Amino acid sequence: MISSRRTVLKAGTASLAFLAAPSIARAQANASNTLIWADDSNSDVTYDPRVTQSRHEEQVIVQVFDQLIMSDETGKLSPGLATAWEMSPDATSLRFTLRNDVKFHDGTPFNAEAVRFTLDSIVDPATGSQGAVDMLGPYDKTEILGPHEVRVHFKAPNAGAIDTFTENELSIVSPTAVQKLGRTGFAQAPVGTGPFRFVSWERGREVILDRNPDYAWAPTWSTIQGPSNVQRIVHRFIPNNATRVAALEAGEVHIGDILPALDTKRLSDSGRYRAMIGVAAGLSFGALLNTSRAPFDDIRVRQAFMHAIDRPRLAQNLYFGLIKAAYGPLAPSTPGYWSGAEQYFPFDRARANKLLDDAGWTMGPNGIRVKNGQPLRAYFPSLLLPDVAVALQSEARRVGFDIAVENVLKQRQDELLMTNQYEMAVIRWVSNDPGVLRIPFHSSNIPEPGKFKFNWSRVNDPALDGLIARATQAKTPAERTELFAVLQKDIMDRAIFFPIHDQVQTVAHTARVSGLRYARGNWQVRFHEARLATA
Amino acid sequence: MGYFGRRILGVIPVIMVTWSLVFVVLQIIPGDPVNLMLAGVPASEEVRERERERLGLNKPVIERYGSFLVRAAQGDLGDSFRSRRPVTDMIAEQMWPTIQLAVGGLAVGLVFGVILGVFAGIRPNSWVDSCCMALAMVGVSLPSFWIGMMLIYVFGTVLMWVPITGRGLDALILPSITVGLFIAGGFARLIRSSIIEAMNQDYVRTARAKGLPRWKVVLKHALRNALIPPVTLLGIQFALLIGGAVVTENVFARPGLGTMLVDAVLTKDMPLVQALIVYKTAAYVIINAVIDLIYGVIDPRVRLEQAT
Repeated sequence: MISSRRTVLKAGTASLAFLAAPSIARAQANASNTLIWADDSNSDVTYDPRVTQSRHEEQVIVQVFDQLIMSDETGKLSPGLATAWEMSPDATSLRFTLRNDVKFHDGTPFNAEAVRFTLDSIVDPATGSQGAVDMLGPYDKTEILGPHEVRVHFKAPNAGAIDTFTENELSIVSPTAVQKLGRTGFAQAPVGTGPFRFVSWERGREVILDRNPDYAWAPTWSTIQGPSNVQRIVHRFIPNNATRVAALEAGEVHIGDILPALDTKRLSDSGRYRAMIGVAAGLSFGALLNTSRAPFDDIRVRQAFMHAIDRPRLAQNLYFGLIKAAYGPLAPSTPGYWSGAEQYFPFDRARANKLLDDAGWTMGPNGIRVKNGQPLRAYFPSLLLPDVAVALQSEARRVGFDIAVENVLKQRQDELLMTNQYEMAVIRWVSNDPGVLRIPFHSSNIPEPGKFKFNWSRVNDPALDGLIARATQAKTPAERTELFAVLQKDIMDRAIFFPIHDQVQTVAHTARVSGLRYARGNWQVRFHEARLATA
Repeated sequence: MGYFGRRILGVIPVIMVTWSLVFVVLQIIPGDPVNLMLAGVPASEEVRERERERLGLNKPVIERYGSFLVRAAQGDLGDSFRSRRPVTDMIAEQMWPTIQLAVGGLAVGLVFGVILGVFAGIRPNSWVDSCCMALAMVGVSLPSFWIGMMLIYVFGTVLMWVPITGRGLDALILPSITVGLFIAGGFARLIRSSIIEAMNQDYVRTARAKGLPRWKVVLKHALRNALIPPVTLLGIQFALLIGGAVVTENVFARPGLGTMLVDAVLTKDMPLVQALIVYKTAAYVIINAVIDLIYGVIDPRVRLEQAT
């Protein structure tokens, strides 16, 4: 009896001492050269750039891999693993001269064979590529011209290819590591040439990366040419918003991914934290109006809806000025952005009312317009950002729209979209390629039962399809920019897509951290140039 | 074959039935696994078709069910649709953090539950009783995400006593309290009523008449006899925790089987859902069998009944 009581006492004292000891997590955060990132997800499954389509997985990939051509956040290109590149006049092949001094993290040399292996394996169905294969587009084959020289052939003109080769998904992987580990094994322990090498991954908790001491092939725009000042990166998974903010404030992490707008504002106002707002390239966050069903089958009703909403005020109210209103189908940070879209659909309630009057919708007694006994009703199944959906609803109501918002899960949304049971739906899409416009606007992408696709406005016009085809197959960059401007104007004229606000990445970090830089597309953050001041 | 062995064998038909049910339900609920997996990504129709083929989704339902049963009987529960890894490996990885949290929560629940229950039970209808039962109600009724956030705010952000996230044992303290308070609530209420009943029994009066100190009467005579119903409840709650505590896992950024199951269901990762259900069913039956054995330890009369 006495001995057991003594044991209890001992255990109690031990646990008290344990409680008093400085916490492991905070000690880790204060270690001088370890940078801790809090990611807003915990469902990563692969770090194989050839396979992924997830921005969370790419946050790790961007540290571990290099691309043939490296782009900074503004789209400025620099030699990466290739020192020079040249597009053929007919835009069907691209010749790369490769660096001859680069080694993968497993010690094997980077060469022409590695480029061919990576690109060939992307189009191999067995790889199961979800992003890279579509980016490579009309890829035909890679011809090896020398140990450090290749020519990539396309089946059709591909003027956008130079930009495409800056994408994370087209990072070059170590062929030896893929062969040794197998596809699934490589996805768990990727081997690249980047400034950090992959160390370990405890699922649902964290990924650890260590500095690559041999790194000497940084892009020209980088402020550091050699290895990073940061010794180790801990990529911690904290999906809950409030917990991520708390961990940042408690000093357990240095950088928090996608923080709520209110917290970002509060933290950056405090002076102890800095906010980094990146406008993502690709489709703006916006609503596609279903042109195949009443009431949005009438262009006047679509125009009226767009004039009825005060986008700058909506963005200010919901995001405290951190996020700006969007005006065109493409975000301003996308190559080929057409600023003419900014003149479209200014907030004008009188004009909205006039358009609806002209279209035959008369104001009913309850503030909802009617025509032939039918109310001006639009069903809006909303998957993303319910606060925006409700703001649209109340604004549109003031000119007589009855927008029926229903918050739905992805499964339900898919069913409704595939079976054409909706009047509007919101979309967003991160991409560095203006060719992303084919996804929501080409007639071949109209959803059908069993086939989930993204042309939710259901616009089906060979003229628009032709514009998309010409723009994506342009032979020169100038022609490409011009054709994409025509395409954006056409989309705006049709009033099928209502841009609402920019898609932004909101990152907050302690003032101790400096040298962070967004990767192209303004979504992932590069850590190569980061520095951590001592606490 | 012993009693325990028979209980374990009884798991097999239960698992067969739950498996088939899960398979049918996953076929019925809307959503295409490939679309859910790609979650709004610019994949072409060719990519989607290719994925369907890779996952074997283009085969008839009956064929898929049949091949699933055959492989499962050989101990191969398949590879996850999303990660392409064997689901058994994935579950094994997430089991340890789940067990940690379950044990931590159980320990907190047990300690708080016994203290509150005993104090309430020995003086029924006093102010001590009312206070203890009010606390128990708070534990049962407050949602764990709220308790979790409050603990994080007070002990993590303001006082900075314990870490909010991380892998050390100190990072287990707040989540254990979050889970434990809920367990303690129900546990305390059952202990209270059992103690009240036991305190009126003849053996307690005898113990008192012998002149034993009050604490000895309560702990050795009344509490031990009062433990059977609360232990049953504890077993059920522990079995639930072993299946994962999804809200607590989310709030404290912990890996675990709860999060894994929710993710698997939302992305229709069928092999993973099926394997998790097997695991949960088996854990439930085994823990209940263990609880039956514990009855015998607490009350030797139960053992005698089984022997006869």
